[in-house]
Amino acid sequence: SVIGTLESFLFRVRDLMRSGVVKQSEKPIWYDVYKAFPPKKDPLYIKPVAKIYGKKAEAVPDIFYREDEIRAKFYEVYGTGPRAFDLSKSDFVSTCQRFVEKYMELESQGELEKEFLFEQTGKALLAEGLVLRRRGGPVVVSDTRHPVLGMKLTDMLAELQTDAPGETQTLGGQTPAPVIPQ
Amino acid sequence: MATRVLTKGGVLVGLCRLRQPRLVTAGYSLSGQFYATAAAAVNTAPLITEKTDVTDKILNIPLQTPDFFRLSELFSLQDLFDARVHLGHKKGCRHRLMEPYLFGCRLDQDIIDLDQTVEHLQSALNFTAHIAYRGGIILFISRRRQFGHLVESMARDCGEYAHARYWQGGLLTNAPIQYGPGVRLPDLIVFLSTLNNVFQQHVGIRDAAKMNIPTVGVVDSNCNPSLVTYPVPGNDDTPAAMELYCRLFKTVVNRAKDKRRQMELLHGQSATAPTASSL
Repeated sequence: SVIGTLESFLFRVRDLMRSGVVKQSEKPIWYDVYKAFPPKKDPLYIKPVAKIYGKKAEAVPDIFYREDEIRAKFYEVYGTGPRAFDLSKSDFVSTCQRFVEKYMELESQGELEKEFLFEQTGKALLAEGLVLRRRGGPVVVSDTRHPVLGMKLTDMLAELQTDAPGETQTLGGQTPAPVIPQ
Repeated sequence: MATRVLTKGGVLVGLCRLRQPRLVTAGYSLSGQFYATAAAAVNTAPLITEKTDVTDKILNIPLQTPDFFRLSELFSLQDLFDARVHLGHKKGCRHRLMEPYLFGCRLDQDIIDLDQTVEHLQSALNFTAHIAYRGGIILFISRRRQFGHLVESMARDCGEYAHARYWQGGLLTNAPIQYGPGVRLPDLIVFLSTLNNVFQQHVGIRDAAKMNIPTVGVVDSNCNPSLVTYPVPGNDDTPAAMELYCRLFKTVVNRAKDKRRQMELLHGQSATAPTASSL
């Protein structure tokens, strides 16, 4: 069998010593130490199990906090905050974290409702000097579109014909040939 | 008898010095190959009874206290957190056997449970200290090229050995042929990263289990902790974390050796240990 499946090497050594194959004088250095301070889990080799199909209980739970709701909404509305994250400092407070803390503060004061809390937090931070710009505002159609862009060629040609019908008909009495795009 | 300094097939950094074999623990590894080399071995004749008792006392006293070397004051949970030891790999890279050691999964990144890490690290360092106290050879292995130099310099600083290069197949299992007869194998192998460069388990773990050598290993969330004797669940990719581990192991080994010298002087063994004091 594979090494270590049935017993760890401690038991192998212990049995070798008990049977006399290994003399006490040749006892390994680690033997006493291992006996005095054994590991938490016996180091047996665990065979890799074939893939388990179907549902199985989630072994490692996801980590979510209450403040994550606030954070999600913040990132949706404001995008990434105005200031970048500085990871070299362990006590760094990011824009989002400031927002969250302010939100929790206002919530604990308990006067406003949920819908207004978000707005209020933004206003409170603005009062403290932190400007938050909304991400992706409504698309504004500018009224100053050049009038030439609205003209159509067919209309222009029709105007030309109505303006000077007489001149076109003197061209040998033929109906004006259709314009062939080339 | 000069212990062979393992220099073939890689750089094994260590002090080339006479390793005074302790009385009963002058160990050769328990593999069948070494019985034949008993002739070339150290003089295993028993020493005088008084010295035996004193040596026994020196060896047994540390085993009675749970934390003889006071290693719990070397690190705290906050230190581990600051060194980013709790950061694992993504959920898809997770090894099934690491699930008990994980605290949770934050946005698909595994977070290692530092409470468990503290206990495991404590027991691993304690074991290392006791082995160093008894004059055992410790081999540090890491196949991460980013930290190869760090590992080698750390091993040199604490007077032990390191192997941060390509692991040839028979280094442990075929040692007398690869290095020559009469090689003394390590008594403890410390893996600062249990994976090799192709993200498979390092061959050394399996070989150490075959050769009855205990192992201490830093296992990340994509590693297999089953064969490692004293696994330490923790991050093995961040430089901060690796520097922490190296610093801890170096301090522990040096502390253990100093303690040994101290105990020998205390219990009047200075006559038989001239080499120890000349270290």
